Amino acid sequence: MRKVFILCLFIIGLGFAIFNFKGLATRGTYDSIVLDFREDVPAAQIAGKLSAIAQQYHVKPFLNSEFSIKDNVYIVKGDANLLNALKKSDLAKQTESIEPNYIYNAYEVPNDPHYTKQWNLRSINVEAAWSETKGSGMTVAVIDTGVSRVPDLKDTKFAKGYDFVNDKEEADDDNGHGTHVAGTIAQSTNNGYGVAGIAYEASIMPLKVLSGSGGGTVADISEAIKFAADNGADVINMSLGGGGASELMQEAVDYAYSKGVVIVAAAGNENRNSSSYPARYPHVISVAATGPAGEKAPYSNFGAGVDISAPGGSETGKILQETIDYQTGEPVFAEYQGTSMASPHVAAVAALVKASGVENPDEIEIVLTKSARVVTEDPLNHFGAGHLDAAAAVKFAQKGQITFRDFFRWLRENGYLNLRFWFDGGAVALLPKIAMVLGSYILAWFLRNYLPGWSWSLSSGLIFGSSGLFFLRGFYVFDLPQWPFRVLGSSIPELGNAIQGSSGLNPLFASVLIPLGLIALLLGNPSWKWFAIGSGIGVASCLLVSAVMMPNVMWLGEGLLARSFLIVNAILCYGLSWLSMQGEQKTA
Amino acid sequence: MSINVTGTIERKGFGPGTWAIVTEEGETYELYQGTPDELLKSGVKAKIKGEVREDVMTFAMIGPVLEVKSFKVL
Repeated sequence: MRKVFILCLFIIGLGFAIFNFKGLATRGTYDSIVLDFREDVPAAQIAGKLSAIAQQYHVKPFLNSEFSIKDNVYIVKGDANLLNALKKSDLAKQTESIEPNYIYNAYEVPNDPHYTKQWNLRSINVEAAWSETKGSGMTVAVIDTGVSRVPDLKDTKFAKGYDFVNDKEEADDDNGHGTHVAGTIAQSTNNGYGVAGIAYEASIMPLKVLSGSGGGTVADISEAIKFAADNGADVINMSLGGGGASELMQEAVDYAYSKGVVIVAAAGNENRNSSSYPARYPHVISVAATGPAGEKAPYSNFGAGVDISAPGGSETGKILQETIDYQTGEPVFAEYQGTSMASPHVAAVAALVKASGVENPDEIEIVLTKSARVVTEDPLNHFGAGHLDAAAAVKFAQKGQITFRDFFRWLRENGYLNLRFWFDGGAVALLPKIAMVLGSYILAWFLRNYLPGWSWSLSSGLIFGSSGLFFLRGFYVFDLPQWPFRVLGSSIPELGNAIQGSSGLNPLFASVLIPLGLIALLLGNPSWKWFAIGSGIGVASCLLVSAVMMPNVMWLGEGLLARSFLIVNAILCYGLSWLSMQGEQKTA
Repeated sequence: MSINVTGTIERKGFGPGTWAIVTEEGETYELYQGTPDELLKSGVKAKIKGEVREDVMTFAMIGPVLEVKSFKVL
């Protein structure tokens, strides 16, 4: 009885699964039918059949292509009714198959004629995201110079906005910047005109805070943030920055955040090691800009506060949207660049993520950053979590009725005093570092017979030689240069490339030279000698791990030459430490 | 905060463009609205007395915003 019951459950489950399986048959669309005649049917007979079909159903069968003659593959225009009629007819005997001619679409490629020039949309992988969501039901507030209804915003939905500069309801643009930003977020798409936008089914809430010449006050911007939060905005984009810290604005940001609004802002265009305000406030996602090749845009701010990067354009390729001409006010397709252009990419993808079911602003930020394409070599935090990826973000959002909710909340809670700040952008590659420290201890263990015990001097030598205080490397403080942290966070072999922040090891430092010097200097001192010996073992471990995991030496490249150099020097360091201890045992 | 800035006027290419003064040391100040037209020409060297507006943000984000109080074309 039990077995029967389980079998029934299994069959119900199977039936449910099959019923819900979205195979090609339920999803595909077709407007024609393929007739594949058997190869042994004479040509004359096929011709007769085809003219009969033509007469009976009023269609014109044609060869699929010139290559179809041999295989007798013909196409007729028609729908499901014709398909069924043909399948039931005597045609079935002379054909191998009669089936729908499904239309395959790789992804949703919009028909906007200038879409081909929008490298930025392809680089954030938006087409694959569109097959899931286009941001329907979301509202994105554009706090900027206003938004004018240019022709390519004709089909775009708008929410009630406000002009805080001139204190009126209509928030038209008298500069061009705000309309351009709004275009990136929700330019009318698939309308056969102009260019595409990212979350083009979302609504734009135009909030004008910047005058025609491009500046605005903290008071107006703070009011606009509150307006957005009170009027149902899901996401706020602020492609603006500058000035100093403002309590008024911090309060407005906290208020919007408490109402569940995602706040995105541009990192700034000073090529400086810090995000500008408001991007650097807690609860604001700071966006750095990249050029067409994914490189840091020359003007983009970086370092402290940068959370993620998105296309902002550079001289080799800018961002194209429809906006108004600054001089005439007439609609124009214009190419702009700046972190101003990068920020709306992230704001729009945040809207796509929210439309996919993730509500909490912290979780949306986690989805955006965790789904970003990581840039492995990013010692100066040019890219934050990496390059924005719309498709990966949407997929991640859909997967997740987010289990990391509670775990990550405490990570973010106190602004600057959170882990995300210390390890911003994941700049420290932890695994090799841990391998280096462990390696140095294993190497020291092999020499244990000679060691006087684990003294502090030996341990600090091991750490200084192998990994340094590596966690300091992920330390970015606003308005401070980052190189002192890199130097403090470097091991001996890494010191030679720490100041310039490059990833290739300097062969003068990543060799036996420094341990040799240290041992020569310190061998006479009974305590410091162990520091020198420890550093020799540590360097040996660091060089070995580098040789195995990431051989990259300045002037020697990343190949066999670099690897051999590192291994030879590691052996020399180890041998040197061993020799120094030999002397120790004899004299002891 | 009132300061004196000596440098060259430049048009910077963010958005539809914005005016700035760049000092010889490479410091960039964005010129706030209301700057006299006489000053708004690329390549003009000038000494500006003005106030840095800490309460103003811009879309150009190229540096501190300078409100011109008085100036002298050099």
